[in-house]
Amino acid sequence: MPSKPVQPAALKKNDLIAMIGPSGYLDPGKITDCLQTLQQWGYQVMVDPETVGVYRGNYFAGSDLERTEAMQRALDNPDVKAILCARGGYGMSRIIDQLDFKKFKKHPKWIIGFSDITLLHLHLNRRVKISSLHAPMAAAFMKSEDTSYLLYLQKALKGSLSQYKFSPQPDNNTGHVTGELIGGNLCLLAHSVGSPSEPDVKGKILFIEDVGEHFYTIDRFLWQLKRAGWMDKIAALLVGDFSTTKDTTQPFGKSMEQIIKDVIPQGLPVAFHIPVGHQPANITLKCGVQYDLNIGKKSVILKEK
Amino acid sequence: MDQPDKWLSADSKIPPYLQKGDCIGIASPSGHIQYKELLPAINQIKSWGLTFKTGQTIGLKDGTFGGTDQQRAADFQQMLDDPSIKAILCARGGYGAVRIIDQIDFSSLNHHPKWIIGFSDATVFHIHIAHNYHLATLHSKMCNSFPDNWSSATPEQQATINSIRDALMNTKKMSYQSLKNPMNRTGRAEGELIGGNMRTIENLSGTRSALQAAGKILFLEETHEYLYNMDRMLWNLARTDQLRHLKGLIIGAMIRTPQRDPNDEMNKSIYELVMEKVKAYDYPVTFDFPVGHIVENYALKCGVPHRLEVTTVGTTLIES
Repeated sequence: MPSKPVQPAALKKNDLIAMIGPSGYLDPGKITDCLQTLQQWGYQVMVDPETVGVYRGNYFAGSDLERTEAMQRALDNPDVKAILCARGGYGMSRIIDQLDFKKFKKHPKWIIGFSDITLLHLHLNRRVKISSLHAPMAAAFMKSEDTSYLLYLQKALKGSLSQYKFSPQPDNNTGHVTGELIGGNLCLLAHSVGSPSEPDVKGKILFIEDVGEHFYTIDRFLWQLKRAGWMDKIAALLVGDFSTTKDTTQPFGKSMEQIIKDVIPQGLPVAFHIPVGHQPANITLKCGVQYDLNIGKKSVILKEK
Repeated sequence: MDQPDKWLSADSKIPPYLQKGDCIGIASPSGHIQYKELLPAINQIKSWGLTFKTGQTIGLKDGTFGGTDQQRAADFQQMLDDPSIKAILCARGGYGAVRIIDQIDFSSLNHHPKWIIGFSDATVFHIHIAHNYHLATLHSKMCNSFPDNWSSATPEQQATINSIRDALMNTKKMSYQSLKNPMNRTGRAEGELIGGNMRTIENLSGTRSALQAAGKILFLEETHEYLYNMDRMLWNLARTDQLRHLKGLIIGAMIRTPQRDPNDEMNKSIYELVMEKVKAYDYPVTFDFPVGHIVENYALKCGVPHRLEVTTVGTTLIES
C-alpha cells in the first residue's frame, strides 16, 4: 500500500503565511483585502516582493526563475507555516520540475490555491505525499465580492475538521464511500496524465471544476481521464462548478450531466453542483486527506475523517 | 520510457498504395458534415481514377457530431472491415474520434492494411494506429478543405490536394521545402514521421493510444489556442518524456488566439517556447513547416521514413 499523505500542522496565532505568485500576474489592488483579512484571522503575512504585485509587462507573476525561487524560499523557510498562492492563471507547469521538496517534506506546511495550482496539488499528492488545500486565493478576499466561503479556509487553517452538506441533485448517483480526496481544475488534471505528477486515483474521491472552456474541451478532458483508467479506479466523483462552460455555434448537444454519465461506470457515486471552482462559492477541500462521502436522496454529506 | 531496442525494431508497415479503380471510403468519425460538402473531394477522387463510397455517418447529426458514438464507430468499423475499401478518408475533423476509438476493432488492419487519411481530430487515428498497429497513415487535408471550384483554386490549394493523390497512389516520392527561419536548429535526421494536432496528442497522453515518438521525426501543429495553452501542451510532451529521443522536430502552423487583454500575453514566442523544451538535445528543429490548419497543408506519410535536412538556407523533408 502506498503511504498516505502527511497533513501539515494547523496554524497558530501569529503564524506566518507567505503569499507567492507561482503562475500568472495579479493586480496589486486585489491583494489589500486578502492581507487585511489574514491579519484579522490572527496571522502575519509576508508578501513575496518579486512575484506579487509587480507587473513585468507580460502574463507571468515573474520570470520562471523568480517564480521558482520565490516558491523555493517559502518552501524552505521554517518560519513560514503556510503558502498562499496569490493567483492561478498559467505557469505552474513551467516551474514544477525545478522545485525541490526535500526540506518541505521534513517540515510540511499547507500550500493553498486552486486552478493552475492544481498541478502542484497533484504533484504533492503523487511525489511528495503531503496534503494541501484546494481553496480560494487572493482575489477571492476582495470585499466587493461574496466572501462568505472564506470561512471554510479559515477553519481549515485552524485545524478544524471540514464538514459540508450539499443539497441533492436529480442526476446524482447515491452511494456512501470513504477515500482520500484529490482533484481540482479539469484541464490541469488531464494535463498531468502520463507525466510524473499524475496522481494514483485508486479508491479516491475525485473532484473536478473548470472555467470558460468549451463543452467539447471539457468532454475531451474527461475522455482522457476515462481512457487513462481514472473513472474505473475512483471511488466517487464530485462535479464542481462548470457554469461558465461555453457552447459552439453548432451546439455540442449534451448537457454537463450527460457528458459525465458518458464517461463513468454505471453506479459510480456522483454528486453535481458541488460549490468548488471559479466562483465565490468555493469551499476549501483538503487534498490527500480522508473523507467520508455520503450521497443520499435527501442530502450530500462530505465529512473529513 | 521506451527502450531503444523496442522502437528500432518497430518499423511500420505500409498499406498497399492505391491503384486506378480502387475505392476510398469517406466516413465522419468526428464532426457533422453534409453530403454536398463532400462533392469537391469526390470530384477530385474521381479525377484520380479512383472510386468512392460514402459511409452512413455522412449527413448524420447528433449535436456537433456526425451521428451518435455508436453510429460513428459502426460506420468506421464497416469501412475497416470492407476489403473493397482501400483507404478511409475522414470527411472532417472537429471533435469526436476519442469518444469512439476504443469501440473500434482495428485488427482487420493486420490482414488488410489500408490508408487512414485526415488531420486535426483524426490525429487520434494516426497516433493510436502507430502505437498499436505500427501501420503508416496519411496526415492530410480532409473533404471540407478541398476547393469548391478546382479550376479557380490557387496553385497552393491544388498542390496540397495533389499531394494527397501522390501520397496515396505513390506517383512520386514525397518531398517538401520550407524557408529558412533563424530559430531553426540545423542538422540532418532520418526517421519515420509521427505527429499531428498538439491538443489531440496531449489528449492521448497516458492512455493506450499515447504518442511514442522515440526514434522518430515528430511534427506538431495547433490552431485556435491561447499561446499559454500551447506552452502547457509542449510541457506535457516534455514531462511525458516524448522530446528526449526524437530524431527531429517539425513545427507546422501554430495559430494562436490572441488574449483579450494584450497585457496578458506571454513574453515568449512559439519559437522560444519550443526551443526551451529541446535545448538539451541536438536534433534538428524546423519551424513554419507547411502543415496544419493553413492552405499550405501538405499530405505527410506518418510511419514512413523520411530524411529531414535543416540548413541555414532552408529545410527539406524527403521520403526515404
